[in-house]
Amino acid sequence: MIQDASDIPDNSILKSDICVVGAGAAGISMALSLMESGLSVLLLESGGVSEEAETQTLYEGEVADEALHSPPASYRQRRFGGSTTIWGGRCMPMDPIDFEQRDYMPHSGWPISFEDLRPYYERANQLCEAGNFVYSSTESYPARARAMLSGFHSSNFSTEQIERFSCPTNFAVRYGDRLAAADDVRLILHANVTNISLAEDGKSVRLVQVKTLSGKAFQVQAQHLVLCVGGLEVARLLLASRDHSNQGIGNEHDVVGRYYMCHLAGVIGTLAAADPASVWHGYDVSDEGVYCRQRIALLPSQQRAQGLANFVARLHFPRMTDPRHRIGILSAFCLGKFLIPYEYRKRLIDGGKTTLRVWLAHCRNVLLDLPYTVGFVWHLIRDRFLAERKFPSIIIRSKGGRFSLDFHAEQEPNPESRISLGQGVDALGMPRLRVDWRYTQGDVDKLRRSLALFAHDVAESGFGTFQYEPEMVETEMLRYGAYGGHHIGTTRMGDDPRSSVVDAQCRVHAVSNLHIASASVFPTSSQANPTLTLIAIALRLAQHLKKQTVPSSDFNTSEIRPQEART
Amino acid sequence: MSQKIRVLVLGADGFLGRQIVQGLRNSDWALPIRAGRRTGILDADGLERKCFDACDQSALSRALDDTAGVVNCVAGGPETLSESARALFAATADRPEIAVVHMSSMAVYGSVSGRVTETAPMLGDMGAYGLAKIQAERFAAVCPQAVILRPGIIYGADSPQWSRRIARWLQSRRIGDLGKAGDGFANLVHVEDVTQATLNALRFAPARGQIFNLSLPNPPTWNEYFLAFAKALDAVPIRRISARALKVETKLIAPPLKILEIFARKLSPGLLPRLPEAIPPSLLGLWRQRIQLDVSKAESLLEMKWTPLSAALAKSVSGQENKR
Repeated sequence: MIQDASDIPDNSILKSDICVVGAGAAGISMALSLMESGLSVLLLESGGVSEEAETQTLYEGEVADEALHSPPASYRQRRFGGSTTIWGGRCMPMDPIDFEQRDYMPHSGWPISFEDLRPYYERANQLCEAGNFVYSSTESYPARARAMLSGFHSSNFSTEQIERFSCPTNFAVRYGDRLAAADDVRLILHANVTNISLAEDGKSVRLVQVKTLSGKAFQVQAQHLVLCVGGLEVARLLLASRDHSNQGIGNEHDVVGRYYMCHLAGVIGTLAAADPASVWHGYDVSDEGVYCRQRIALLPSQQRAQGLANFVARLHFPRMTDPRHRIGILSAFCLGKFLIPYEYRKRLIDGGKTTLRVWLAHCRNVLLDLPYTVGFVWHLIRDRFLAERKFPSIIIRSKGGRFSLDFHAEQEPNPESRISLGQGVDALGMPRLRVDWRYTQGDVDKLRRSLALFAHDVAESGFGTFQYEPEMVETEMLRYGAYGGHHIGTTRMGDDPRSSVVDAQCRVHAVSNLHIASASVFPTSSQANPTLTLIAIALRLAQHLKKQTVPSSDFNTSEIRPQEART
Repeated sequence: MSQKIRVLVLGADGFLGRQIVQGLRNSDWALPIRAGRRTGILDADGLERKCFDACDQSALSRALDDTAGVVNCVAGGPETLSESARALFAATADRPEIAVVHMSSMAVYGSVSGRVTETAPMLGDMGAYGLAKIQAERFAAVCPQAVILRPGIIYGADSPQWSRRIARWLQSRRIGDLGKAGDGFANLVHVEDVTQATLNALRFAPARGQIFNLSLPNPPTWNEYFLAFAKALDAVPIRRISARALKVETKLIAPPLKILEIFARKLSPGLLPRLPEAIPPSLLGLWRQRIQLDVSKAESLLEMKWTPLSAALAKSVSGQENKR
């Protein structure tokens, strides 16, 4: 059932067995998993079915250094479907090594293993419409697999691993009908959770305060409360809920909001293949019709042996803003960048000045490369804009087997990198966020060594050359700032409440019925984009709650006026 | 041979009727007799044939004179379905010694979703076929020994609708991954399982007067069925078919194709195999419907074991290849 908060009587109390806050990837996955379990589920969503400026403004906040981090209202969508309404769809599980405690990676180690998540990854893959949970080219499409870098032999890197791409699936569009048809799930739109009240002893959630932008207010009582509002908003909500303690909820040891990670990403150097025909950098299609792409992955054994962070790289086209690439379609993107959404435009704005000379050079590229540009535009229209399963990204033919390297690497957990409450409040009276993302010299050092290792292996195998400027690694890593949209670690999982916020079951240590399903619980960031793993985490938590919760008539989903509740 | 009981199969020349005749023939206890509109007394395989209109109660009554059982697999339009059932149950109402198995359908449940047992209300809100099947079941009230089988989607190598047609659509990439339009459950039941259920229903006393759902117990979604079938046919990778493309297929392309088919049938039947088949709009509703038949009763009273999807698809593919 789907309702709007405007239909809920003012000052009423809603009850349910499970209350899930946030109807994005995690919240919708949880609701689908809890469906038909006998439990009543209340799913609260701040936004409506489409983007609304007033609601989106609730995400606004401060950033300590705008060169390092995008504004908090970007890369996030406060609406039904959450950020799946704008995501790119890249699906990758974490690697088993990511869960290990590693001496060379400070604050690493999860209280669960890859195997604990594995069964849920399979279902997460299905929900993302990313096909089977198989992540190697030879297993995914054995008859059609081809070498990414033929002749590149390395004991440090693998090129067989693939990433799979969701449609990208908008969870609201894909699963909205099922939620609407369910009689045990009640989704309420335009319902903003502004405060969580604990019982007197502080050991359980007593009430959830909900407000609408039109001024209505109601409360929720549930056996269990699950926060699925994303890595930034989870921390904000816990810190802002100060009825019981000025430190907020779950923050007895000042951990909430700390260890904030994104991914370290950038484009660097030039990989030149001795034989241009030895490179395959495009997309393959699995039996299920899913776009897949191979990438270069640093082997776990070498991460351990050499004390390196998890690292992957893809072959990329040259920097768009530099017209010396002479590729018409890249220049066309630069000239038309104002038509591109911020999240995708960011890489077109890299600090370089667009002088008249640069602008003319881009125009020249478009004109001289017109046939290819026209063909590419048609491919974009047919395979991306009109297709329901969209061609995932721009793949440009290489002139002479030369590519730049698009790296995506794990960031060290760092308690100084943090989310906190900033100045001012939003329209609902909630304190705004302050984002202070930081990296360490350890991050730069590990990245530098990984790139050096790759350059060495490319040369030694006789594949070609990888040339880059080691002193530019930090600059390139920071050119676009922290990787947008990956909000990780702010309520990290662990066994020790002094260094973590939730336990292995995603329960806030000190609060018996408060849980978090978000990338915020990841203690480390891996090389993998977080969506698939956060869905797997949500499904695992749903399974846990199903086992742990007995449906109660005290928590059916009817409304109760406060007076009735007291009698 | 003399100890075998005679079982009349109504609609014996249809897809399911043929299979049931074969199943009875292969048994060591039954002798099938084909009933249909085709003339003749003895078929080439030595089996007896009776020619009469299944909607004609007196003709049917005469045909039942020397039989111990009857299976109703009559296919056709809504009127034929309900009238043949009325004739059958009226003819057997006062003859409790004749075992009666009537082939109904999951269509009686209509648009309901969720797990459905045999006691669920019959909504019949998805077209004339479902209503006719409901009407047919209601006629069974006068025949207390009648066993009613409600199969889901009957598939198998010779299934024209759910195997051969689906295979052609998959191979021509007209269907594939349908997204949420293929999220419904495909309550598949292999034709050999329906045959086995029919044979057991004829013989097992506790089944008398009962209704049974027939389907894989944990059916795949239609998307999963299409993918598994496409893999078996080596028609991969499958394509994502957008909601827009499905609309065009069913709303814009299907009507003229259907008209062409009708004309071709009358004017030039040789043209029929070359015409692409229309994807009827009614399938969109079926492919989205999240109904799941509960088959625990068939498992306990009819002792049903189900052919797994992978084995059934392998049979379907090899069956189609043999035909080629």
